[in-house]
Amino acid sequence: MSTTIPTTERPTFAPRVRRLTLKRRRQLSGVLFALPAIALVVCFIGIPIGQAVYYSFTQWNGLTSTWIGPSTWTQAFHNTNLWTALRNNGLLLLSVPFALALPLGIAVLLHQRVAGWRIFRSIYFLPTAISWVVLGLVAERFFAYQGTLNSIIHALGFSHVSTNMLGYESEALIALGITFVFTMIGTNTMLFLTGLATLDPSLEEAARIDGAGRWRIFRSITLPHLSRFIQLAFVMTVIALFSALFSLIFVMTGGGPGYATTTMEYLIYETGFNQGDFGTAALYGLILFVITGIVGVVQLRLIGSNE
Amino acid sequence: MRSFGAVAATLVLAGTFYASGPASASAKTTLTLWQNYGTEQNAVATKNLIKAFEADNPSIKIVDVAQPGTNYFQLLQSAAISGNGPDLAVMWTGIYDLQYSSYLVNLKGNVPASDLAKMEGMQWEAPNFDVSQGAYVMPLETQFYIGFYNKKLFKEAGIKTVPTDWTQLLADCKALKAKGIQPMVYGNGGQAISTEFYPWYDMSYLMIGAHSLASWKGLYDGAIPWTSSTNIAQLKNWATLEKLGYTNSDVLTNTANIQQFEKGKAAMMVDGTWDTAQYTSTMGSNVAAFVPPYSVKPITGVVEYPGDGFSVTKYSKNKKDAFKFLDFLSTTQAGNIINAAGLIPDISGLKTTNPVNQEMLNFVTKDHMTPYPMMDNYVQVNVGNAADSELPSVLANQTAPLKALQNMAQAWHLLPAAQRSSKDFAG
Repeated sequence: MSTTIPTTERPTFAPRVRRLTLKRRRQLSGVLFALPAIALVVCFIGIPIGQAVYYSFTQWNGLTSTWIGPSTWTQAFHNTNLWTALRNNGLLLLSVPFALALPLGIAVLLHQRVAGWRIFRSIYFLPTAISWVVLGLVAERFFAYQGTLNSIIHALGFSHVSTNMLGYESEALIALGITFVFTMIGTNTMLFLTGLATLDPSLEEAARIDGAGRWRIFRSITLPHLSRFIQLAFVMTVIALFSALFSLIFVMTGGGPGYATTTMEYLIYETGFNQGDFGTAALYGLILFVITGIVGVVQLRLIGSNE
Repeated sequence: MRSFGAVAATLVLAGTFYASGPASASAKTTLTLWQNYGTEQNAVATKNLIKAFEADNPSIKIVDVAQPGTNYFQLLQSAAISGNGPDLAVMWTGIYDLQYSSYLVNLKGNVPASDLAKMEGMQWEAPNFDVSQGAYVMPLETQFYIGFYNKKLFKEAGIKTVPTDWTQLLADCKALKAKGIQPMVYGNGGQAISTEFYPWYDMSYLMIGAHSLASWKGLYDGAIPWTSSTNIAQLKNWATLEKLGYTNSDVLTNTANIQQFEKGKAAMMVDGTWDTAQYTSTMGSNVAAFVPPYSVKPITGVVEYPGDGFSVTKYSKNKKDAFKFLDFLSTTQAGNIINAAGLIPDISGLKTTNPVNQEMLNFVTKDHMTPYPMMDNYVQVNVGNAADSELPSVLANQTAPLKALQNMAQAWHLLPAAQRSSKDFAG
């Protein structure tokens, strides 16, 4: 049986549209999905950076700006306070190994379930839950001439010895570094404890059966296993060092004595909000931005990871 | 949907009615006032001034907002940039307030000229020190940077008259120390505006001892470099006080200097009038004022200056009412309130009832000392900030005088040329 379709009922076909390949469609979807995020990044990061670049060439009091030109940059590099702040940032980097080694040691001890480990875990984590402003105030009283540190020294029988670390240019930065290490202990300890919790105990057991000592197990099993956690802690600590020390400096030293504890971020605040010179502050902000970028790249290279 | 619309309309109407309130309440203007006085006598005066002003002007309410002293001006600046700050703000006078002039309203034409004329020392806070250009701050009080001493401790050490130059000061400090009395105390317990002590009380007197009032202009425009040998010598003498053990050893970190002085643990301290009432209240007649004698020759100048007051912000929506409050500050009623709080009214003809404040006024009226402005209100802000950071360390012998002065000179050199010139200064 054959059927013939009447000409009037024959289906008509729309002109053929060139269809996108699956790959192209996926690419397009990807771009569309990423667009909101890209817009946010451009709005809240890209444009402000562009503005900072522009304002760094101006004299700007926050309300009105006057174009000056590249001389703002040459003038800024003649400011000795900028170099002091950069030096202080560099010296504070020396505290990073301590901010990693101490929590690592504490985490290893807690992981071995020493007596009272649960209480100690809470105690070590406690500073993380406290504002850095409060920690700074506590540290300020700790290091003060009539503070806790001297009380402890005197109680130990050294009544003729008194320290006043925040009162001396040569020691204030050390006191600040110690406080910074203390503030990082909680976060980094928890990070390392998390890493240790993922370590397969049978590996350690096998090594022990093979005659490996504690140090060998730590060096050959624990440490390699924790490498990614150490990398993360390292990155977080360096970022905190460059961008979160402000509150400690503000309440402990105000950047002094002299400029002994003035870091880049504090100098930016002082220049912008104390002197009302937002143009120069923007310039310093860009310098810090570039330095942080360089440090980030260097640390990734040192770690040998692109993650 | 119709019922939803009706409910929504009712809610909107009700909300509008609630927000606008009764007719009498809506006529009331609310002004916001920011101050950074903490617990000083100025805070008491401000509170009482507001109360009296509101009683006289029932249609105006002033909300007194106490801001932190340490970052008050930074907060004010941020608020100005975003245009949501107060109607009235405490402001320091002189060149200091000119940096904020872009968001302050000039008093000229807004406060009657006859009332402005009643206020003393207005020339120091006018642009280029020229009163014809108006001013941005209505003074609250006449202030002195001044030394306070403990009469009893002086007597114990056999000191009969207050020192008037470096030699006498060092001799008196030696005598006090020999008796086991700490001669001087420093710390940031007074005007807590930074983590270290505020160095400008001393620096003003160091510069009075070094230069005449007429030549202070040279410090502003560079005719006298900050690193001049006279300035270095003055700072060296100052640092000697700590070096010889005539001050507390923790000058940079001490926060209890006021209490230590009040309790008789130190014989002298350099402070300001805002703490006079506190001292006379706790020490009675045992406290007296002296001019810090930071001079090779007998000192002939004293810092007397309307150092602070109130300004109206450009972004205030109620400028007219805000200026009413500033005008009120020139009245006798306001002057009496200021005096009752232990401060010295800045209004011509009004007196102080505090005996120690009167001693300060006598330095000018009876001893004929030259009144100087506060140096921190006279130098460029960036130079001032450099000094804030460096000078306390000089006294603590942590920073060499030359290094500190070089930093101030560097701040001066980095200023735009217009800010280094005094060619438009009046007088």
